Amino acid sequence: MSEQAAVRTDGLGKRYGSTWALRDCTLEIPAGSVTALVGPNGAGKTTLLHLLIGLGKPSAGRVEVLGLSPRRDAAVLLPRLSFVAQDHPLYRGLSIADTLKLARKLNPSWDEERAQARIERLGLDPHRKVSKLSGGQQAQVALTLALSKEPELLLLDEPVASLDPLARREFLGAVLEAVADTQMTVVISSHIVSELERVCDHLITLVDSRAQLAGSIAEIVASHRLLTGPRSDAASVARVHQVIRESHTERQTTLLVRANGHVYDSCWEQHEVDLEEIVLAYLGYRPGANRWEAGAQEVVPV
Amino acid sequence: MIEFHLDSRSGVPAYLQLVQQVRQAIRLGILRPGDQLPTVKEVVATLTINPNTVLHAYRQLDLEGLTEGRRGVGTFVAESRPAIQASDLRSLRTTLDRWVARAREAGVDEDTIAALFAEAIRPDSVSRVA
Amino acid sequence: MTWVAWRLQRTETLITLGILALLAALLVPTGINMANAYHHLGLSSCTGIEQGSACGQKIGDFQMRFESLTHLTDWFTLVPGVIGVLLAAPFIFDLEHGTYRLAWTQSITRRRWLASKLSLPIAAAVVAAGVMILLITWWRTPDIRLDGRLGNGTYDAVGTVAIGYTLFALGLALALGAVWRRAAASITVAFVGYFAVRIFVDTYLRDHLVAPLKATFKGNPPARLNHAEILSQTVLGHPHVHLQGPVGAGSQIAAPKGATPTVFQAVYQPASHFWPLQLTETGLFVGLAVLLIAFAAWWTHERTV
Repeated sequence: MSEQAAVRTDGLGKRYGSTWALRDCTLEIPAGSVTALVGPNGAGKTTLLHLLIGLGKPSAGRVEVLGLSPRRDAAVLLPRLSFVAQDHPLYRGLSIADTLKLARKLNPSWDEERAQARIERLGLDPHRKVSKLSGGQQAQVALTLALSKEPELLLLDEPVASLDPLARREFLGAVLEAVADTQMTVVISSHIVSELERVCDHLITLVDSRAQLAGSIAEIVASHRLLTGPRSDAASVARVHQVIRESHTERQTTLLVRANGHVYDSCWEQHEVDLEEIVLAYLGYRPGANRWEAGAQEVVPV
Repeated sequence: MIEFHLDSRSGVPAYLQLVQQVRQAIRLGILRPGDQLPTVKEVVATLTINPNTVLHAYRQLDLEGLTEGRRGVGTFVAESRPAIQASDLRSLRTTLDRWVARAREAGVDEDTIAALFAEAIRPDSVSRVA
Repeated sequence: MTWVAWRLQRTETLITLGILALLAALLVPTGINMANAYHHLGLSSCTGIEQGSACGQKIGDFQMRFESLTHLTDWFTLVPGVIGVLLAAPFIFDLEHGTYRLAWTQSITRRRWLASKLSLPIAAAVVAAGVMILLITWWRTPDIRLDGRLGNGTYDAVGTVAIGYTLFALGLALALGAVWRRAAASITVAFVGYFAVRIFVDTYLRDHLVAPLKATFKGNPPARLNHAEILSQTVLGHPHVHLQGPVGAGSQIAAPKGATPTVFQAVYQPASHFWPLQLTETGLFVGLAVLLIAFAAWWTHERTV
C-alpha cells in the first residue's frame, strides 16, 4: 500500500449557525483503502464528506484531499474525485442516455465505453427516463456516473441504505471491482455496521460530531479486548488502558477496553471482540459515563 | 476452477478461509498444478469482499509455496507441492503426543485442549508467549 | 456545458416559445385587421392634435371598435413577469431537488456552472422580451399614430422597458429561489412581487423619472402637446382646481366667470421624452435585476452546501 494519504484532516470542523455539525476531526485515510465512515444519523458523516468534496467550507481546521484543498483547488481536484450524494440525485427528466451525455460533457476524463457497458450489464434501457427507474436502479446509474469518471477517490454517502439486499450486493460489488482494477480509494458512509468488515479495510467512527476511531480494521480488532472478571472497580484497568464500555452484574464486571499494549492484569479473563461489537460500543459511548480522560481524543492515524 | 465462499459467522478471518479453501481444493484434486486461481477482480465480484483480503490470501498461499503469481497473468497452483519430510512429521507427532499426555495429567479436558490448540495455530494469535 | 444548460432548460424555453406563439396567434390576425381598418377609415390624416369633427368621429369609431381588444392587450404587461419567473425554474429546481450536488461534483467548478446556468435564462429573457416588443409594436402601430406612445398600455410594451421587466422578474425569482430552494413558492412570490413593484413604479415613479415640462396657453393646446402625457392641467390662478378630460379648451372648466379668456397650465411629458423615460425606467429595472441576480449567484456560490 502506498504511503500517501488520500485524505488528511487537522482539527476540521463545520458549524451551521451555532451548531457544530463536525468538530475536532483529525484523521488520515490511506490511499488505496476502502474506509467505512460509521455513525448514527446526524453525527456528521455527510458533513465530513461534503467538506472532502468541496461542497462546504470548513469553519475550523484544515482539510487536504490528494494533497490539495477541495475548495481552493476545485478546478484541478474535482476531475480526480467522485461523489455520490445521499439519495443519489439525478435529473429525473433526463433519459439514462442523456444523463451519461451530461456526465461526458462535464468530465474531461470520461470513459464512455465503460459507462455504456455497465448500463448494459445492469440490463437498463438507455432511453428510459430516470424518473421511471427504481431506487436501486437509480443508485446504480449514479454509481455508473461516479465510476466512469475514473476517480482516484470515491466518496459514497449512505448509498446503499435504501437498496434491497441484492441491489446492495451488486452496488458494492461494482465498487470493489473498480478498487481491484485501479487501486481507487473509497470512503463509504453507512449506519449499517454488519456488512463493513468484509468490504472495508479501514474504519472511522463519528459520534456527536466527533471522530473517535480511525484506523485499519485489523489494527482496531487487534487492539480491543473484552475483559471479564469478578465484580470490581475498573479503576486499575483504566489507569493503563481506555475503557470504552463497562457493565456490571451482581458478581461480574465486563469491560471493553482499547488496550495500550498488553493487558497483564491477571484477574481479568481476556477475549477477542469482533468489529461490530467494537463499533457498537463506540457508537454508544458517552465520555462522561466512562473513564476516558478528558482531552484524549484518541484518533489513531495509520 | 475453484469457486470461493465465505462464512461470515465462522470467526475465521476471511483471507484465511480463502487460503483454507485453496489448500483443501489442492488436497482433493479440484485444483491441480498449473491451474489458474480466480483473479482478484473475479473473487471480489463474486464475494463482494475487499480486494486486499484476496491479495492477503494469495500472498499467504505464495509464502506457503502452494501457488505462484505470474505478473500480468495471474496466480497459478505451484508445480510441485512442498515435500514434507517423513522424519519431521514423526518427530512432531511424538512431541504432540507428549504434550497431550501432560495436559491430561493436569486435568485439562478435551474441549480446553482443542481450544488451546486452535489458539496456538492461529497465525495472528493474540496471546504471545511473554 | 452549453448543451447541458440548454437541455436542462428545454422545457421552460419551450413553454416560453409557446406563450409567444399564443400571443402571435392572437395578435397577428387582429393586427392585420386593425391596420386594414385604419387605412380604410383614412385615419392617417387625422394624427394632428387639432382635428376636425369628422376626424374626431372616425377616431371615436375606430377606437370603440377595438376597445375591448386593446384593453385585453393591456394585460400583456404581465407576460414579461410570467416569462421571467418561468425561466428561473430550472435553476431553482436544481437546488430544490439536490441535483446541484451532482452537478457541482463533476469536473467543472461551481463558478462555471453558475455562469452557464444563469446566462442562458438571461439570454432567453432578453430574446423573449424582444420578440414581444416587436410583435406588440407592430400591432399597436395604428394606435401609436393616433395617440402616441406615452399611454399606459402602449408605453409598457413598445419601448425597451419590457426587457427590464422580464429581467427583473427573472432576478427576483432567482434570488428568492436561491435562498428558499422551493420552486413553486419562489415563482409565485416573485410574480406577486413583480406585480407589486410594477404597480408602484407605474403609479409613483414613472411620470417623474425625467423632469416633466410646463406649458401655458389659452384656448387650444399647442402642437408640442401632441401625443404628450398630461400629468395635470389647471387654470392659471386656480392651481387647486385640476381639470379632467381633453387638454385645453376641450376640458371641463369650472372656472369663475370673467372677461379675461381662460389661461391653462399643463404639466406634461412630451412625446420627445419617450426614449429618455424608457431608458431610465429600463435602467431602473435592469439595475434591480443585476443586483438580484448577483445576489442569487453569490448566495449559491458561498452559502449553499
